[in-house]
Amino acid sequence: MSRPCAASERTVRAIQWAMAGAAVCFIGGIVIWITHLIRTAWRLGDGPSASIGISLVAIPVFLTLLGVILYVFRGLLAEAGGRIGPLPRPPEGDEQGGGV
Amino acid sequence: MARWGMVIDLDRCTGCQACVIACKAENNVAAVGMTEALHGRVISWMQVLAEGDDEHPGEVRRFIPRPCLQCDDPPCTKVCPVYATYRNPEGIVAQIYARCIGCRFCMAACPYNAKYFNWRQYQTDAPGQNPDVSVRPKGVVEKCTFCHHRLQKARERAGAERRDLAPGDYVPACAETCPARAIVFGDLSDSGSEVARLARSPRAFKLLDELGTKPKVIYLREGESRG
Amino acid sequence: MADPAGTGDEVLLAPIERTGPGFYWVVGLLSLLVLWGAAAYATQFVGGLGVTGLHQPVSWGFYVANFVFFIGISHAGTLISAILRLSRAEWRRPITRMAEVITVMVLFIGAGQILVDLGRPDRIMNVIRYGRYQSPLLWDATSISAYLTASIVYLYLPMIPDIAILRDRLAKRKLLHTVLALGWTGTLHQQKVLNRAIAIMAVLVIPIAVSVHSVVSFVFSMTLQPMWHSTIFGPYFVVGAIFSGIAALIVAMIAFRRAYGLQSYLKPIHFRYLGQLLLIMSLLWFYFTFAEYLTGYYGSEPEEMRVFWAKFSGPFRVLFWAMAVTNFVIPVVMLLSLRRHTVGKVLVASISVLVGMWLERFIIVVPTLSNPRLPFGEGIYWPTWVEWGELAGSFGLFALFYVLFTKFFPVISIWEIREGREVGLKEVEERLLTYLPDHAEPAPPKAGAVAR
Repeated sequence: MSRPCAASERTVRAIQWAMAGAAVCFIGGIVIWITHLIRTAWRLGDGPSASIGISLVAIPVFLTLLGVILYVFRGLLAEAGGRIGPLPRPPEGDEQGGGV
Repeated sequence: MARWGMVIDLDRCTGCQACVIACKAENNVAAVGMTEALHGRVISWMQVLAEGDDEHPGEVRRFIPRPCLQCDDPPCTKVCPVYATYRNPEGIVAQIYARCIGCRFCMAACPYNAKYFNWRQYQTDAPGQNPDVSVRPKGVVEKCTFCHHRLQKARERAGAERRDLAPGDYVPACAETCPARAIVFGDLSDSGSEVARLARSPRAFKLLDELGTKPKVIYLREGESRG
Repeated sequence: MADPAGTGDEVLLAPIERTGPGFYWVVGLLSLLVLWGAAAYATQFVGGLGVTGLHQPVSWGFYVANFVFFIGISHAGTLISAILRLSRAEWRRPITRMAEVITVMVLFIGAGQILVDLGRPDRIMNVIRYGRYQSPLLWDATSISAYLTASIVYLYLPMIPDIAILRDRLAKRKLLHTVLALGWTGTLHQQKVLNRAIAIMAVLVIPIAVSVHSVVSFVFSMTLQPMWHSTIFGPYFVVGAIFSGIAALIVAMIAFRRAYGLQSYLKPIHFRYLGQLLLIMSLLWFYFTFAEYLTGYYGSEPEEMRVFWAKFSGPFRVLFWAMAVTNFVIPVVMLLSLRRHTVGKVLVASISVLVGMWLERFIIVVPTLSNPRLPFGEGIYWPTWVEWGELAGSFGLFALFYVLFTKFFPVISIWEIREGREVGLKEVEERLLTYLPDHAEPAPPKAGAVAR
């Protein structure tokens, strides 16, 4: 299997960056939403205790999820060092993924 | 700040349901039609319950007019996800039709089943309706509001005449109509008012009091002669 | 001892490479169900919720029961996959992918039930703009969002090495595979990153999953209604969710085992273990149910007893006793001895449990609403074709999503199977030695001594 050409390499990279960006936007959006709900409750005098209590748990959980996503993206893509296809393989058989 | 409440004397109530009709006329409550009524979808902000007795099945022991009990600790407002129902500073539990998403959580939560749903579009704007009350669209919850529009009109009139709101200026349709004068309405926080006096009566009780909803519609039980 | 890597697992790639007529038949049938559901919802969208059987006082019915049911099934994936991963159970290897896919797909269907149930779905943005965290529905929204996000991540991460295999083996969908494989080449650093991330997710996803069905139960238990306002609901619903989730997983496994010829990967021993888990959950479910009803009965509160008798001997008795039989009697009878006819018995038990758990959700939602505290007269609820159509369409859509997934990605995790062959045996042996008392002279490990 030959290496993909430079143009599609760029496309692939762009889409991967877009995926990471989408994750940031999505989870960032949720965090902003939760704070918006706290502010609304406070403004309407509805007792923001529930909102604050839930956000104390929910926001760290979402941020941890984002952290894991970005950690994986960085960890895998940085290693590939710009290469997106497989390493040039030895002539015998393939030994992909899972080998020690 | 006023705390609007109601006292209903069960000794006087004859079960005539004039209050039900007056409420429907005043508040543009849709007549859902026979098919829908057979399906159990009648909307009746004020409803007269016929309470029976386990020992005498089939007999009606007493009639209980049940408007929205306008609780001071409403289970319905607690569960609304969008602030479509809330308790205003004067104690009236309000309903915002334009906000309601029709999830019916408040209906499931109300222990008095005082909330009703528009299962279809039962009516649109039409002549003959009360112009002071909005016509509800399909898919929203509605309930008795103690004829809140009458309070607004009474306040405006009192303001225009540069005076305070007098007792008797603001009376919901059911209280105004009851031929037996069983429904008394007023400001519970005004200790001299008739409604506050009756609420302190030894005959006074609250429906499902043990649930802690603190309803502001108080009932007077019948006299000893009715056993 | 291991198969030469790359040639033993062709059958796992076969569904992706080739499509037979059976697939089109199945997709056709499921599409018919989805069409029925779409027609039902279109009718409801135009005519209002009046086209259903709902009324005063039974204002919640099929849709809310379906919501609880489908969200419950989502506990298949995470709990099974995460718990088995964390407890290093080697038999999880062919199962985890299927479980994780169930979770992701069914969460969409479950959340969709609430959308279907709304009187004003056009105002759904009000929940975003004016949400009230005091309301259990917002707890639902937050918790299910967290769970959906976590499940998608938890499905995707272990798929990366498999997508890399697809990228290298297949000519079609090159761009998709290359993008999603994130440059995976199997280097040590990448493996470390991935394994660490999967481990974190496995730990994170369990409390999120528990919170999801707890807050779903809080929708009922936070009200004051008889037989809803019960402190047991949180754990009860979670147990029921895991119970129905395992059953759904077993049914999915058996279906794909037959359809794709995966008998050598999904062996009777896997079904035996899952069957034992199902049996335990059945007993646990029975215990919770018994405690719940005994408490109500012993207390004898009049309003609670009206609902109680409505279920035991009143209008709901057929559904209630059917639930008891399908959730407890049939599973226990089927699952007590799984030595022979394992797959058959486990299939019967699982289908029985799925029916029973749906009945259980219905029995929780409707009888309480049907028996209001004040003297209104009992409400009788009969669902219409719209509600049946919605249920059929929901199930059809879920199955359709699942089947389409298996056409794009391997339904059994290829790299984890290989890892099990190449690394698992040695790892388990070493682990076993650490459990045993230390000797002055370590005994030579016997090959094949650890048979997991």
